[in-house]
Order: sequence, then structure tokens, then C-alpha cells
Amino acid sequence: MSERITRAQIPLSEMTITPGSACQGCGAALAARLAFKALGPNVIRHGIPCCPDSVTKTPRTGTVFEGGGALLTGTSRGLKAIGRDDVKAVAFYGDGGTYDIGFQGLSAAAERNEDVLVLTKDNEAYMNTGNQRSSATPKYSMTSTTPVGPKSRGKPRHKKNVPFIFAAHYVPYVATASVGFPEDLIAKVTYAKDLKGFRMIIIQAPCPVGWRYDPAKTIEVARSGVQTGLWPLYEIEDGQNFKLNYKPKELKPVSEYLSPQRRFRHMTEDETAEIQEDTTTKWDTLTRADELGRLII
Amino acid sequence: MVGNKAAATACKLARVQVASAFPITPQTTITQYLSEMYARGEWDFDFVNVEGELTSQVVVQGASRVGARTFTCTSGPGLLYMHHPMQVTGSGRLPVIMAVVHRGYKGMQPDHSDLMSQQWTGWGHQYVEHAQEILDSLLMAYKVAEDPRVRIPIAVGYDGYVLSYTAEPVEIPDQAVVDEWLPPNKPMPSILPDEVDPSTFGRGWGGGDPQMPWKTHHDAIMGMEDVQKEIMDSFEKTFGRRYGNGMIEEYRMDEADVAIIAMGTIAGTCKAAVDKMQADGKKVGLIKLRSYIPFPNKDFQEWAKKVDGFAVVDRSICPGKGGPVYMKLRDALYDQEEKTATLQFHAGLGGKEVRVHDFKMVGDKILKAAKGEKVEKITWV
Repeated sequence: MSERITRAQIPLSEMTITPGSACQGCGAALAARLAFKALGPNVIRHGIPCCPDSVTKTPRTGTVFEGGGALLTGTSRGLKAIGRDDVKAVAFYGDGGTYDIGFQGLSAAAERNEDVLVLTKDNEAYMNTGNQRSSATPKYSMTSTTPVGPKSRGKPRHKKNVPFIFAAHYVPYVATASVGFPEDLIAKVTYAKDLKGFRMIIIQAPCPVGWRYDPAKTIEVARSGVQTGLWPLYEIEDGQNFKLNYKPKELKPVSEYLSPQRRFRHMTEDETAEIQEDTTTKWDTLTRADELGRLII
Repeated sequence: MVGNKAAATACKLARVQVASAFPITPQTTITQYLSEMYARGEWDFDFVNVEGELTSQVVVQGASRVGARTFTCTSGPGLLYMHHPMQVTGSGRLPVIMAVVHRGYKGMQPDHSDLMSQQWTGWGHQYVEHAQEILDSLLMAYKVAEDPRVRIPIAVGYDGYVLSYTAEPVEIPDQAVVDEWLPPNKPMPSILPDEVDPSTFGRGWGGGDPQMPWKTHHDAIMGMEDVQKEIMDSFEKTFGRRYGNGMIEEYRMDEADVAIIAMGTIAGTCKAAVDKMQADGKKVGLIKLRSYIPFPNKDFQEWAKKVDGFAVVDRSICPGKGGPVYMKLRDALYDQEEKTATLQFHAGLGGKEVRVHDFKMVGDKILKAAKGEKVEKITWV
């Protein structure tokens, strides 16, 4: 498991290119800035269609949208074949490339325990094409393909539990992180960087354009996601060992996270209560797993 | 040695560093041979057993981009599933070599519809006749693809079942000779952090003009013709075997008035028919087409000056358009001063048997057409 660091331990060197192609307040750009600080220069960044692109000073390789897991595999195996496994194959993919179109290839790479690091910036919809729903979109979220109307209350189903699915491949390391908790994020990337085998960190990356909040509030939105229990920060090693990294005495009510975002503005009190109950139940499960130090699957 | 074993043996001789494949009939046994070779540690390579063809194509793409020599293989539907990443391999100018064990897509049996459907992905396409030619062509493909003048992936196609699972005598060249003839691959451009050009970050080819990547890609494939001919000469010098000039292989064309054009295993059947026809005094020869992309325009333009008719036997059809070799041949001959008679034959589709007497019928028809007699332009054999 990662070790806590202080803000002073965050590397000063910048590995991302500014201004880049990101929008104001882009959570994904911030995720790249923080994660690649921890990774340093000896990295080949893997990109598949997602936004923002062209973000790091490291070499970059890319392929078809659905080929993320396969490309990492090829790079990693190729580097070993040419005797350069000092170079790290690192993915910086979106939730579409991880949860949806790229899911099969990543699952297969995890099953083979490829020596790769997958960083997913999860902005909970296909933001590159204008905010269409993905399987990372949370319930009731309004997107351009789950609009609200007489027959629709936004997205009808829950977000897919991708960290647990990948943990169930019994890979060395799976973690969640948030741009609102940079020390935690950097500590996890630093820890995962030098492990061998398949490692994945899913980073909560708020998108002011898609989530529809003031771009100045990205950090506040990210933090409230964690503080309400909707985006718990945890680590899972070898599919078994579990650690909850952020444990407030009391969770904030989910409405603190939902109400500033206009993607949830149509939600009724009952719907908010449903999300609250669901979040509390899931949080109880996680805290129990944390007490045991392991998952009971 | 069966054709699929010849393909796996070529990987070993070429000292492939990363191979990846997903089993599909009739390619399946290549994946098994490679797995066995890996398990026995026959040479230092990595074999990645993957969950689908799309992944196998992308795995070799990734490994090739960092500079490893790579191999993959598939058949019919598996090749269609690879279509999307194949264009990335082509556009990336990655010297990936792939064996395509033909399986048509209207059934399990062989025809050339699988590889023909991938014409727009920017690869070199070759069609071979027998197991020895599989092994030799794969070795030559690495040398062509990795040549700095080329840097184009190449698919080597051979008919499923008829070649993949049929044993024929195959001469295996000496490893030391192959090692000397085929030096290790070098990536260009390198994407390693300490070697990458910082102005491109490894993104590589192309410039400001969005058409330039298309033009350079097209020019590189057109330039393969000379390189393939040169490497065929060098192959013969080193290993003592040759297949025509690499682009086409003529059979008993010295005395021929007309030529049958065929590809793959049925070209072998055609050779037997040519022997019989020439014994009967009929001046029919064979031009076996080895390289469909690039197409041997110059060779056919030269042959058009010497013969009076071409009978094209296409083992695939683009429904609503026609036989791809016939269309391309007519295109190559359009600017010739004298018109040469051409006939289209559709044969061997869906694995339909093509026999010696079928080729004799093809020969009789093109002889008639060459004399100016009226015969139907299109025949389903």
C-alpha cells in the first residue's frame, strides 16, 4: 500500500505541456499534471481517443480506441524484447477507453498480468465528443444521450464498479484517487510506478463542461465527491488486501456534491434520498473491508 | 512440413522477438506451433496469447513501434476483426509481418476475399502457392518491410487447408545464413524517451499538409516494387531459390501466345494444365501474381506487348464490382497503344475446387478471344 506524503514532497518538475488543449478547470488535465510529476521522464505515455490529448513531455504512442490494453501489452513486451524494460509503459486513458470500448482489451491485459500502469481519468461521460453517457456515468446524471424528459430521469443505471472488476483479476494493484486529494494521488502513482505487473489507478476528474458547474470549483466538487462517500479513495492489492485511504468521522450528505452540479439539478428529494441510502450502504461495506484489511469476495 | 509449420518455422528463422495471435481455423496450428516453440525455448522470443485478433494486431503494433521484430497471423473473419487497427499499423509505417491463412467470409473454405477486403489499410499484399514459398516469402517480407526505403507492413496470404494443413517437402535454410542475410530490425522513428525526437514526441510521420501522410504512404508502397525485385535477387543469391521477379512468376511463357493470371494454390493447378495444353500444341502460359499490392503494372504492360490475351482467374469478388485482379489489370493496360484481349473468370470462391480441366477451358477461351473470336467476357468456373 502507498505511504502518505506531504504537499512538500510533491515533485516540482512539470511533465505536462501548458497551456495544452484542456478547457478551464479541467480535472483530467490536473490529473495528468499530478500523475506525470510522480512518473518522471522515463515513460512512454499511451493515449487512445479522449480529452485532453497531447499533454506530456514524454514520448507518446497511440492506437485505436478499443486497443488500449493491447497497445500497452505490445509496448511492454517489445521493451523487454529489446532489453529496455527500464522504460515504463503508462496509459492515460478516459472512462470510455477503460469502462466501455477498451474494457475487453484491458481486462485481458489484466488477466495476463502485463507489466503496465493504467491511469484512468474518469470524468463520467464521453466528454471528448460532447458529454454522452458512458458506463462510468452515475445514476440520474443528465448527459446529451440521457437527457431529462417525461420518459427519462437521466441515466437509469448505476456507475459500473470498475476498480472492483479489475481487482477481481487478482492484479497487484488497483486504486482510486481524486484530483481533489493531490498528496494521495501522487503517493499512489509513486507506489504503483515501481511495482511489477498490472497496476490501475482510476482518478476522479471533474469536468466543468459536462458536469455543468463553475470551472473555478473543480477542486471543491472533487473533494465533496470524496467527502460524501460517492468517490471513496482506496487501494486493493492482489485482489484481496484492502485499505480505505480517506475515512472522515462522518460523511457529508450527498446533496452537497449533487446540488452544485447542473447534471443532477432535476433530481427530486426522493431520488437524492435513494442515492444517499445507496452511498451509505456501500460506504459501510468499504469500512468493514477496511477494518478486516481485506475484501470478502 | 505443413504450411502452418512453414510459417512458424519462418518466425524462428527470422528471430521474431514478439509474436501474438488468436486461434482461428485454418490458422490455428500456427498459434500452437509458436506456443510449443516458446515452451521449449527454441529461441529468445515472446509469444502473447491474446483474447482476440484485434488485440493481436495491436500487440505487434506496440512491440514494433519500440523496435521489436514482430509476427501475427489470422484467417477470414479474424482478419476482418483486425481491420481497424491494421490501418494504424499501415499509417504508423510499422514493419509488422502477418500470415493470412485464407478463409473466405461466406464460409469456412478458402478464397481470397479476406485479404482482398483489406486493400485500403496500407499494407503490402502477397499471395503464395506452396509451403516452401510461405517460408521463403515470410523471410523476404521482413527484409522488404524493414528496408528504410519501405517501412510498410506486409501480409503474406496462403490458402487455408490446401496449404495450412497439407504436408509438402520444405527446405529449411541454415540459421546462420539467415542471420547474416536478415540483420535485426531498427525502429524509425524511435519512441524511447532517451532517443525520441523531442519535436515530435514520437508521433512520427507526416507534416503540416494533411494529405502528406497519404502521399508518403502511397509512394512508399509504390516503391516496394523495386525493393521486392532487388530482394528476390538477393534471396536467390543466398538461398538458391527464386519466385520470378518477386512481383510475378512466369511459368512456360517463352512460347506462349496468351497468359492465364492466377494466384495462390490454384496457380499450381494451372501449371499442370499449362503442361497439358502445351503438350497439345496450345500456346498457353501462366503468370502467377505474387504481389497484389503493389501491383506489377510495369510487368503486365511489358507482357501485353508480347501476348495476345490475358485470362484473369480471380479467387475473390467484390460483389457489385467484380474480380479485383481483373479490374487492376485492365487499369494497368488502359494506356497501352495496342489492346490485349482480357477475360474474367470467377473461380475457387467459397473453396470450390478448381481442377486442371477448368484451366484447360480457361486456356481454350482466351485462345479464342485472342484470335478475335467472340467469347463471353465473364465466366463463373
